[in-house]
Amino acid sequence: MTFEPRIVGFLCNWCSYAGADLAGVSRISYPTNIRIIRLMCSGRVEPVIVLETLAQGADGVLVMGCHIGDCHYISGNLYAERKINVLKKLLARTSLEVGRLRLEWVSASEGGRFAELVKDFVEQIKALGPSPLAGDKPDKNILAGVLAAKAAAEDFRLRLLVGREKTMIDDGNVYGEKVSEEELDKILNEVIDTEFVRNRIYLLVKEKPLSVKELSERLDLDSKTVLRHVVVMRRRGLITVDRVEGTSPLYTALEVGR
Amino acid sequence: MESMEEETPRIGVFVCHCGINIGGVVNVPEVVEYAKKLPCVVYAEENLYTCSSEGISKIKEGIAKYNLNRVIVASCTPRTHEPLFRGACEEAGVNKYLFEMANIRDQCSWAHMHEPEGATEKAKDLVRMAVAKSRLLKPLEEPEIDVTPSALVIGGGISGMTAALCLSNQGFKVHIVEKEPELGGMLGHLYKLYPTMQDASESLNHVVNSVKSNKSIEVLTSTVVKQVKGFIGNFEVTVQKANDETANFEAGTIIVATGAPIFEPVGMYGYGEYDNVITQLRLEQLLKDGQLKKPESVVMIQCVGAREKEGRTYCSRICCMTAIKNALLIKDLHPDTDVYILFRELQTYGKHYEEHYRTAQDKGVKFVKYLQEKSPRVVSGKNGELTVNVYHALLNEELKIGSDLVVLSTPLIQHEDARELSQILKVPLGPDGFFFEVHVKLRPIDFATDGIYVCGTAHSPKDTPESVSQAFGVASRAAIPMALKRLRTEAITAVVHENLCSGCGTCVKLCPYGAIEKDEKGVARVTEVVCKGCGVCAATCPERAIEMRHFTSEQVMAQALAALGRTSA
Amino acid sequence: MREKSSVLVIGGGIAGIQASLDLADRGLEVYLVEKTPSIGGRMAQLDKTFPTMDCSICILAPKMIECFRHPNIKLLTYSEVEEVSGSAGNFTVKVLRNPRFVDESKCTGCGTCMQKCPIKVPNEFEMGLGMRRAIYLPFPQAVPRVATIDKDNCLYFQKGVCKICEKFCQANAVDFDKKPEELTINVSAIIIATGFNLFNPSIIGEYGYKQYKNVITSLELERLVNASGPTGGKLLRPSDGKEPNEIAFIQCVGSRSQRKKCFPYCSSVCCMYATKESIILKEHKPEVEVYIFYIELRVFGKGFQEFVTRAREEWDVEYIRGRPDEIIEDPKTRDLIVRYEDTLDRKVKELKVGLVVLCPALIPNDSNTKLEKILGAELDEHGFFKSKDPLFAPVDTNVPGIFICGYSQGPKDIPESVAQSSGAAARAAEVIALVASEEN
Ligand SMILES: Cc1cc2nc3c(=O)[nH]c(=O)nc-3n(C[C@H](O)[C@H](O)[C@H](O)COP(=O)(O)OP(=O)(O)OC[C@H]3O[C@@H](n4cnc5c(N)ncnc54)[C@H](O)[C@@H]3O)c2cc1C
Ligand SMILES: Cc1cc2nc3c(=O)[nH]c(=O)nc-3n(C[C@H](O)[C@H](O)[C@H](O)COP(=O)(O)OP(=O)(O)OC[C@H]3O[C@@H](n4cnc5c(N)ncnc54)[C@H](O)[C@@H]3O)c2cc1C
Repeated sequence: MTFEPRIVGFLCNWCSYAGADLAGVSRISYPTNIRIIRLMCSGRVEPVIVLETLAQGADGVLVMGCHIGDCHYISGNLYAERKINVLKKLLARTSLEVGRLRLEWVSASEGGRFAELVKDFVEQIKALGPSPLAGDKPDKNILAGVLAAKAAAEDFRLRLLVGREKTMIDDGNVYGEKVSEEELDKILNEVIDTEFVRNRIYLLVKEKPLSVKELSERLDLDSKTVLRHVVVMRRRGLITVDRVEGTSPLYTALEVGR
Repeated sequence: MESMEEETPRIGVFVCHCGINIGGVVNVPEVVEYAKKLPCVVYAEENLYTCSSEGISKIKEGIAKYNLNRVIVASCTPRTHEPLFRGACEEAGVNKYLFEMANIRDQCSWAHMHEPEGATEKAKDLVRMAVAKSRLLKPLEEPEIDVTPSALVIGGGISGMTAALCLSNQGFKVHIVEKEPELGGMLGHLYKLYPTMQDASESLNHVVNSVKSNKSIEVLTSTVVKQVKGFIGNFEVTVQKANDETANFEAGTIIVATGAPIFEPVGMYGYGEYDNVITQLRLEQLLKDGQLKKPESVVMIQCVGAREKEGRTYCSRICCMTAIKNALLIKDLHPDTDVYILFRELQTYGKHYEEHYRTAQDKGVKFVKYLQEKSPRVVSGKNGELTVNVYHALLNEELKIGSDLVVLSTPLIQHEDARELSQILKVPLGPDGFFFEVHVKLRPIDFATDGIYVCGTAHSPKDTPESVSQAFGVASRAAIPMALKRLRTEAITAVVHENLCSGCGTCVKLCPYGAIEKDEKGVARVTEVVCKGCGVCAATCPERAIEMRHFTSEQVMAQALAALGRTSA
Repeated sequence: MREKSSVLVIGGGIAGIQASLDLADRGLEVYLVEKTPSIGGRMAQLDKTFPTMDCSICILAPKMIECFRHPNIKLLTYSEVEEVSGSAGNFTVKVLRNPRFVDESKCTGCGTCMQKCPIKVPNEFEMGLGMRRAIYLPFPQAVPRVATIDKDNCLYFQKGVCKICEKFCQANAVDFDKKPEELTINVSAIIIATGFNLFNPSIIGEYGYKQYKNVITSLELERLVNASGPTGGKLLRPSDGKEPNEIAFIQCVGSRSQRKKCFPYCSSVCCMYATKESIILKEHKPEVEVYIFYIELRVFGKGFQEFVTRAREEWDVEYIRGRPDEIIEDPKTRDLIVRYEDTLDRKVKELKVGLVVLCPALIPNDSNTKLEKILGAELDEHGFFKSKDPLFAPVDTNVPGIFICGYSQGPKDIPESVAQSSGAAARAAEVIALVASEEN
């Protein structure tokens, strides 16, 4: 059987959903693979939902909004752009292909463009093959990465940073100092790295107690880095020592709110 | 209401053939059978046209007969048909937010005409997704608010007064707050007005008197707005008089009509240095007071401090016509005076302005095109006589024009205190400093904040006809909520789970409508009637403490899982 | 005593739509009379709009739908005002409803008939560049979504055979026996919003419009670059369907001119829309060369100067000051040679391009003369409706209770039309308030 990808589309009501309607009204055909979820604004696209959708085995996620400047809610699509940017960075740290997520702008008069983009995305996904997370036996390792990414996307620090990015660039921080895109990108990368690794550690030790050495093997990271994270996580009350085996402490997860 | 929420969902699904538009591609009976097996679906049927009056009665009958509390129509696009079906639900006693649609025509049968099987499978998925969402839908109410039928007009120039008169004629009370001791604004300083050459003060006095004698207009001169609280329909306004006395009143709507002063070109072309280098505004004053001594040669320079490479990059729109008007007036007084207009690009747009340009040419006004990179220079001789050196771009030669009066056309600019006002009202200024409307094309006189509007030169440079047109315009925009007296607002709004909110304030900053504030407890609070329901705050909240009604994370996730053929966790 | 006061709005372009929505939103009843089968006016035909470059139909379609759905708006499309009597507060209006031969209450807009109809004719909405059927919706977003039979081209009406549409219409909406209907309504005020027409560029013989295939108008260009237009958004020139590499815009075709049959005024929007269209062309194909021949650049609106600066500096659009004297076609390649005097260096020059876009004068709607007779509202020397007092009563006509807005009052762009239409709505509401206070 040929591979028919399952693609979930999150479309804004005002431009992209209207563009998808227009493709139909103009009888422009495109592959049947996409299932569209209508939202009022692309800015409503919640990163956690996107990651959960991928974790649940979607072969691809296509987010569409109004062209920059056309947002019905003034600036929602700018926020969508920032979020997808972060999502891609998170995905890049997992073993799931970043190409399974795509953001595009489609206006209400671009029925043809909508159809083209769907066609193109379906091709892109076909080239990638079925999601390793689809079906009954998802790849455990990859799933662990995506779940860690999801946990990072739920995390306060990362969300706070993403939520403030635009204001920091436009209006500056509390001291009125404006931050450049490049500086911000650097900060963002650091926070994402940290959050992603910590969440992976957390999820791993939640399954069963592990030592720093074991963690560093599983995460393919040097033990020094792992130890640094473990220390912070301990201090924050996220993990604790379960028992000591030989000379190595084994860590385990503490139940935290939400 | 509460009991309804607890009710187990009883969903009815109506699948439309749309003639042959859906039925010709999608196997509709199969979709109906499929729908019947989905959780919580207690009834499903097919219709030739669900949107026909027959189809609508089928929905209502279905609701009654099967005791449905949720309805799904699988047909075309919610963008055009949702209101119709929602109406049907409401008439049959089902809250309209418990209605959901599956778009199996525009986004299915029409797009996959040559793949009937794929289209049928997709149609089933779309119905399954709709069911998944429908099960989780909550009834919603559109909150209603009362609107105080009175308006605050800030600025008592021609725009503010026109808006005030028009509103009062429509039966509303108006407060005009004017910071100067007198009403009138810029027109009070002008002589004659293009395009009709009417006397400015005469026309203005007529309007000022109408305003002053109008019982439903309260005029507060030498007064400024100090504080504004609340939202559309219910603004609480604090004003301050010159003697520091303050007063409070309520207003349903607010109109910004603060106008614009001119740019004072100190240091340019000898302005401030030579007495006979003046602005157009000063020239108007001299003409008005009859104090213009006969000049031999007048040189007017356009775009002084306007259309710059950086800074004031904009065109001030009114200066070319103002120069032509004043050139004509001088010519009328002193036919043998030479008048030159040094321009860059003449803005005699629209239906009558070109004629004035031609008349001026006929009367001997000399038009000299100069280039931005070769701007004119004003030099003073020993005895104080001025010479204007300019490169004539069309004759390709350098002219030296002796002149005893140089008039600079300078742009209208934003008031210095406008930023303060913009902060009081929480409405933005644009890159040019003028008040910035919510949508340049289709909502040119509305702010993003409901209930606040802008008109006249506060919005951008424009002449009186254009200011007055906008003033009538805001008188309509502001009258809408006030005429309704009660406003129904969005039901699809954001809600904050107080116990989860950490008070970080991220949402407060990003809401484009200023709908979120921190309350006394330091927790975010949504002013529902101001929220437009975009959901950006919900998707961004660091604590995930905000939920979007009708597009809750749970509902959206359920749809996504249904799309993948999985059930919610 | 009437239950609800009503207002008649003539013309369903953006101006008429805005006036109607403002009035309806505040609870007044509106009759919106539009002579074509759909509301939307010129704005529906535009690709994007200057200076913000929003997609035109994206922002317009929701307003059109709102008009359709609004409980206080009665849409009378394919209709014309025939007779008006009475005075402010109490006008009696006769409206002629032309037969669509399709029952508006039954047609679901499904579009099957249009696929089955055997007759193809040039589509007016696509400026004749695309085809439609004899039973048609003028464009996909048309409001109301009801098909119309164009009698002049229908096989049944012309030859007495066919009726295929009727056969395929499962809603039984086709009705060949429909007759024109007359409707009499009572309104308190009237708003005129009849917009504009395009000057016929053939009058300027030396530009060769309709003679040379690759000389087109700006509105034709809007359709050619539009994603849902006849070429799917690809700019293909008419002569050979190829993409031109050099394109010249010519401003003031028939405007700012003392020539016979031409118009002396400035149409106000052409410099800006030519700039917009140039940017769109460059967006589609960055290597295309675009020239704009102008006399005086009209950059007076909010953000306009900045827009032109961007076109120049970021998109490399070339502005040439000069009015071309003539256009000559190369008979082999169908390329065009534009001959002009560059008024900045006074040299006569030639420019070879693959496509010429004429920006014709935007002129008063022909039906204004008829309306002047019916309504008594005076026209100015050009044929636009005249303001009672251009300075202080710009939206009033000489007849109390009759107001004007949009392009029918004089040249203006969309934002100005919108603001002014709200203004006309306010004036109409004043009349109603006055009547109410007198009745009390
Ligand atoms: C030299 C010159 C010549 C002109 N000639 C013509 C002409 O011939 N024909 C023509 O049509 N137009 C002409 N105009 C343009 C015309 O003046 C304006 O279109 C018109 O004045 C705009 O009216 P407005 O009410 O919007 O603003 P304004 O006239 O500027 O009035 C604004 C009012 O708001 C008040 N205000 C400002 N800030 C506050 C605040 N914070 N609180 C309270 N009140 C405040 C001001 O004191 C003022 O009274 C000319 C302009 C200039 C400068
Ligand atoms: C090529 C081109 C590009 C443009 N680009 C832009 C742009 O980018 N941005 C911008 O702001 N502006 C642009 N404009 C200008 C814009 O189109 C107008 O400002 C706007 O359409 C005016 O709206 P209106 O409603 O007054 O008139 P119209 O859009 O002309 O609408 C008038 C309506 O009235 C109907 N009508 C006429 N007579 C009667 C009658 N007797 N009875 C009933 N109905 C009648 C007509 O059928 C029509 O539907 C452009 C114009 C052109 C030609």
